[in-house]
Amino acid sequence: MTTHHSRRDILKGLGGAAALTTLGAGSLRTALAKTMADDKTWKQASGTTIQFISENTPPTTAIAANLEPFKQLTGIDVKITQLELGDLVKKVALDFGSGRSAYDVIYADPYQVVAPYHQGLMDLNTLNGKNGLPAVPKGIGDFIPTQLGAAGYFGNRDALYALPYDCPTMIWIYRKDLFEKYHDQMKKDLGFDPTPSDKITWEQYYQIAKWFNGDHVKEVKYGTGHQAKQYDSLQCDFSNVLMAYGGEYFKNGDQVGLLGSAKPGPSTLDQPAAIEAAKFYQKLLKIADPGSTSWDWTGVANAFENGRFAMMPEWHEFAGSLESGKLKGKVGYAPLPTGPKRSANLYGGTGIGINGNATGKQKTAAWLFVVWATSPQTQLAGLKSKEGGGTPTRTSVYNMPEVKKASHPPTDMPNMLTADTMQIAWDKDHIGLRPKIPAWNQADTAVFTELSKMLAGQQSPEQTMKTAKQKIDSATGA
Amino acid sequence: MAGNARRGGQGFELAMMSPALILLAAISFIPLFTMIWMSLSKVGLIGGLSFDFIGLDNWRHLFTDPDIGSSWILSLIYFAATVGAEMVLGTLMALLIHSLIKGRNFVLSLVLIPMFIAPIIVGLLGRFLLDPSFGLYSWFLSATGLYDGNILGSVGPALAAVIALDIWEWSPLVALIVLAGLTAVPTDILEAAEVDGASYRHKLVSIILPSILPILLVALLIRAMDAIRFFAIIFITTNGGPADSTKIIPIRLYDIAFRFFDLGYASAVGLTMLVFSIVIATVFVRVLQRKEAVV
Repeated sequence: MTTHHSRRDILKGLGGAAALTTLGAGSLRTALAKTMADDKTWKQASGTTIQFISENTPPTTAIAANLEPFKQLTGIDVKITQLELGDLVKKVALDFGSGRSAYDVIYADPYQVVAPYHQGLMDLNTLNGKNGLPAVPKGIGDFIPTQLGAAGYFGNRDALYALPYDCPTMIWIYRKDLFEKYHDQMKKDLGFDPTPSDKITWEQYYQIAKWFNGDHVKEVKYGTGHQAKQYDSLQCDFSNVLMAYGGEYFKNGDQVGLLGSAKPGPSTLDQPAAIEAAKFYQKLLKIADPGSTSWDWTGVANAFENGRFAMMPEWHEFAGSLESGKLKGKVGYAPLPTGPKRSANLYGGTGIGINGNATGKQKTAAWLFVVWATSPQTQLAGLKSKEGGGTPTRTSVYNMPEVKKASHPPTDMPNMLTADTMQIAWDKDHIGLRPKIPAWNQADTAVFTELSKMLAGQQSPEQTMKTAKQKIDSATGA
Repeated sequence: MAGNARRGGQGFELAMMSPALILLAAISFIPLFTMIWMSLSKVGLIGGLSFDFIGLDNWRHLFTDPDIGSSWILSLIYFAATVGAEMVLGTLMALLIHSLIKGRNFVLSLVLIPMFIAPIIVGLLGRFLLDPSFGLYSWFLSATGLYDGNILGSVGPALAAVIALDIWEWSPLVALIVLAGLTAVPTDILEAAEVDGASYRHKLVSIILPSILPILLVALLIRAMDAIRFFAIIFITTNGGPADSTKIIPIRLYDIAFRFFDLGYASAVGLTMLVFSIVIATVFVRVLQRKEAVV
């Protein structure tokens, strides 16, 4: 991906830098936002108060900490409610059920909000640059294509329900210091170069984990840790392996994952590739840190930081906290290992959309906020935020020179240390997309419950996949 | 004449009570009948609530759903273990505190602390203390060689842990209620028994326990009602896992209602919990009335 900068671009950059110095970051964001539309356009809903409901994620934390520029720009007050995802889904569903718009801007998880309740969300195409409203800066084509497909649409590309807002994706996070220190010894003992990358197979990942379990190192007790609590996290952890082995939740899994389907047909979890994946996952968890079965994504990250194990499949946005903790500079990032079919990195990103019941100025104000919150300037500010901040969902932000520079240490944007890995992980051949179906919560619960039984030794991988398929089919009516 | 006056008095009392009764009926019966109607419907949320009548489908599903059956069995185990242990421990704690001559109030204050902590916080405490990575209890059990596994991530220990957390939190409530009952034990009979040379065991079995039996039943009723709808600690610590080993019926109901939004089916499950609560309450109240009649 190469970019060419004209003299005018350079002057613009110098102008931006000058503005940063004189106005401060918040004012700069306001100043840059004014380049997207004129003052009158931004002020058209001045005096309105809107409600934004979001999962308690780093991007929202960063935005909540610095809402003043938006208020200065638009005169709109934004009240933010941050919740656990499950609580958010509950409130959003009940809001749709009430027929009102208690929440105007909605953190629209593709699987738990968009798939079951897309009829409750507004088609953003009807707002984008229409009726005096500003258009999405740089167009929606600036969003990373797989993320736009997964977070924005349902069933087809006719209606756009959400703009990509955050993009946590599962990657291989490992103790770089240990892999460097023991590299030669591991290579000799294992017979292959253990440097983490998508050239390593899951079978080799298992062997590396087993190597660390031995008496070779004092720094960690185990090789690998997993988010295998009976919860959504277990399904996510397993899905990486499932897709790497060529298993699919449904026939045409790529399509059902990217755009979703109301009628995905019978589940294909009972097929040989899925069963092989389950067998491998069971084998892997047998040598993983025994704490794995009680950890979700936060639990496993805490244990990694506490030095329990050398590597884990984990959401890439944990890089921010790992790089500011006691493992700063000691952590490496790579795409997840490859299975018989491919390397699959499960996507867990989300968009923000507008409640279909919002009308008048509420609707206008909500759109202005959505445009601003997903703009390149806000995403750049999020990267620099000391309050959190996720990773950008726009190609143009990754192409900014300062962002490119930040992808190598030392950096003031720790999440960008994963940038090289993420470029691979978000590629259409590497991204892992779980099914976007209205009954996803039932399917998810069926999968993680049956996997939990398998890990507890109560049933075989074959039985696990068979029962999960039956429960999914029952939920989808296939 | 006296009978007419009595009836007239009842009419006045009824008239005075009627606003409160109407309000109570409104906030009790409207939701109840709505729930019954929902249990016979497929409930839609988009564009406002909508009910599509589907007859007894949800009820048929309820009685053939193996997951619901296993959750009920687990709930009964949980119910018996927590309520049973809390009654025994709470009574023992009350007897010990009651026997103290000095510092009774101080000890009572310490003992009561757990019940003032919100169940959500108790769940979080349990999760942190039992975490295999940094949990103090996990470390202690491992260091002493008592248990070296993952407590909240293993099938049997996870259930034992959430039961223990509930017992830790609510035994003090039983102790408090029983302590109040112990002050009503007739001291003259106890003194007479002492003069006759009765041992503590004899006094306990023949005088103290029969005297506090009605209050024990009240404690049992309160805890039983609570145990049926127990939710927060399990939701925070294990979320029903591992392998559904802690998925008691309220946790499953939460999943059906607020994860799957199958509100019709959830209403059917909720109504069975209501019926179970009513049956338990009725049994205990009848026993209580019988005991009071005997006393």
